[in-house]
Amino acid sequence: MAEREGTPENEDIIVCRDVHKWFGDFHVLRGITTTIRRGEKVAILGPSGSGKSTFIRTINRLEEHQRGEIIVDNVALTNDIRNIDHIRRDVGMVFQSFNLFPHLSVLQNITLAPIRVRKRPRAEAEEQANELLERVGIPEQAGKYPAELSGGQQQRVAIARALAMQPKIMLFDEPTSALDPEMIKEVLDVMRELAHSGMTMLIVSHEMGFAREVADRMLMFDEGTIIEQATPEEFFNNPQQERTKEFLSQILG
Amino acid sequence: MAVNAERPNTAPLLPPRSETGVVGWVRENLFGDWFSGVLTVLSLVVIVPFLWFGLRWMILDADWTVISTLGGRMIIGQYNTEGACPGQNCFWRPQVALLLTTALLGMGWGYSGARTMKRVALGVAVILTILAFLPYDFETMGWDVRLLLLANPAAVLAGWYVGCRTPMGSGRGIVISGVLVFVLTLVLLRGLPGVPGLQPVNVGDWGGLMLNLLLAVTGIVLSLPLGIALALGRRSSLPVVKLLCVVFIEVFRGVPLITLLFMSNVLVPLAFPEGFPLSRLVRAGIVITLFSAAYMAENVRGGLQALHPGQAEAARSLGLPGWQTTIFISLPQAIRNVIPAIVGQFIALFKDTSLVYIIGMLDVVEISRAFIQGNPQFIKSAHELFIFLALVFWIFTYTMSYVSRRIEENLGVGTR
Repeated sequence: MAEREGTPENEDIIVCRDVHKWFGDFHVLRGITTTIRRGEKVAILGPSGSGKSTFIRTINRLEEHQRGEIIVDNVALTNDIRNIDHIRRDVGMVFQSFNLFPHLSVLQNITLAPIRVRKRPRAEAEEQANELLERVGIPEQAGKYPAELSGGQQQRVAIARALAMQPKIMLFDEPTSALDPEMIKEVLDVMRELAHSGMTMLIVSHEMGFAREVADRMLMFDEGTIIEQATPEEFFNNPQQERTKEFLSQILG
Repeated sequence: MAVNAERPNTAPLLPPRSETGVVGWVRENLFGDWFSGVLTVLSLVVIVPFLWFGLRWMILDADWTVISTLGGRMIIGQYNTEGACPGQNCFWRPQVALLLTTALLGMGWGYSGARTMKRVALGVAVILTILAFLPYDFETMGWDVRLLLLANPAAVLAGWYVGCRTPMGSGRGIVISGVLVFVLTLVLLRGLPGVPGLQPVNVGDWGGLMLNLLLAVTGIVLSLPLGIALALGRRSSLPVVKLLCVVFIEVFRGVPLITLLFMSNVLVPLAFPEGFPLSRLVRAGIVITLFSAAYMAENVRGGLQALHPGQAEAARSLGLPGWQTTIFISLPQAIRNVIPAIVGQFIALFKDTSLVYIIGMLDVVEISRAFIQGNPQFIKSAHELFIFLALVFWIFTYTMSYVSRRIEENLGVGTR
């Protein structure tokens, strides 16, 4: 089931070749080709509707691509459900709207997948969950329900929940867009710490300062294609495309 | 920025005092503006005469002897008549079944420790205790009947003890006991051939409130899981499963229950091997369950559709397979969201059980109606009888809706 790809050291953890996707007649992704190395942090920018969220959702198959090839950690994404579940275990995702399970406590939110999918003993999973809550800075909230937490706390629980599966890749789909300004920092702090730990991260975000600080590479999306990619330094100081300049001037004001 | 070094005084103030007293309340709530004033007067015009004549009739004119004359027949129908179990007094069999049921209620209370369960269990015990002291003579209502009724509070307490002090007081223990009580109830009522004291009683002779409750409990317990399965099937991506579920749901929702009950004599046996012993009651039970399941399926489907797609996405992104996502994430939330609709369906099912008169079963309504018809001297008492029946049904349905409201509160549905 595993296809060997990339260098012998498996340096390339995500390989996308000419990825296309349609929503009905709407051509969302129009040939995305890019490669992401293990441990790389990639920030994805672009106007709304440019396909950036759709793109990272194809990487764990929440959206199905219809043409091209996506290889995640040497496994090609096909319709084979075992492949997909296998990849999803290794790819964590954090959503704009948190998507915590409201009927489960914070601790249960975090331990559900390790217990059910990884078959870990409950006590061990809970111990790990408490360590993760410590790591994201809210160890005292374990017994509460999501509705009792602030937005920033909920998003940090969501990050802990994804990390509990010990993923190799973390996808962030506008993780701070639904947050009050006061709470954005606490979530970015957690993400910054995660970046320093060496996690491979794909981040769709409008937090320019954060992207500039953390990312190894910027991807600029427009109309379903990557129109520009560069290091943050180059990207912000010397953008090549007119569209990028226009976008940056709008966002940075 | 040192414009104002001192923060303005923002100490919390007490809320403004509202107009107190009866007059203030009336003025504010009933005659707030001219429109509410008109509504208040109109309502009084309707309510006052209704209460006046209604209460006067109830207290002065009504003759409630019809209820005491019917007495136990309302509860067990013709179960204990000479025709049903000749040469034997088997009043004790439904009563022991009742004892088992109240013990189960007590167990639920002991296990959950919930105030709601406590109230229901104790309420039932109190009502049954009161029944034990009804002012009949001992000829009509023997001491044995009364003693068995008085055993119910003890059964509740025994159940409570088992529920909170023994290993049976667990979710599994309750379910096992529930099934056991149900089976024992059926065995007790039906009897066992050859066992002294347990002479078989024809199922067609079961009746009264006992029959309504049996059908309702069976229907409720079976139609919920069946409805959930149908709802999931209807949302399945497998076309055949989906089609079968849609056809089933639409057929059973599209036909009146009364028609289904008529047809139960003809159609249900087709689904079983020839000569399979199926009594009228079992056929009715099957039809009522399937009918209710079709509605249940649509309630649950509504709950599933109201879920934010992000819930399933989050679960799938964690690597949970589809069936685990359904069991651990979608269904618990969906069912929680539609508890009012589900309980509404339970209540409708309970009331609909009286339709079994169609196939000749004497439920509490039919036995009352038949009694009036057979005893013309009571024709004038039909008012009293049916008002009393309405009250009996209301007590049960209100209890259901009370329990469901409490469950909702405990699950925090409204505060999510």
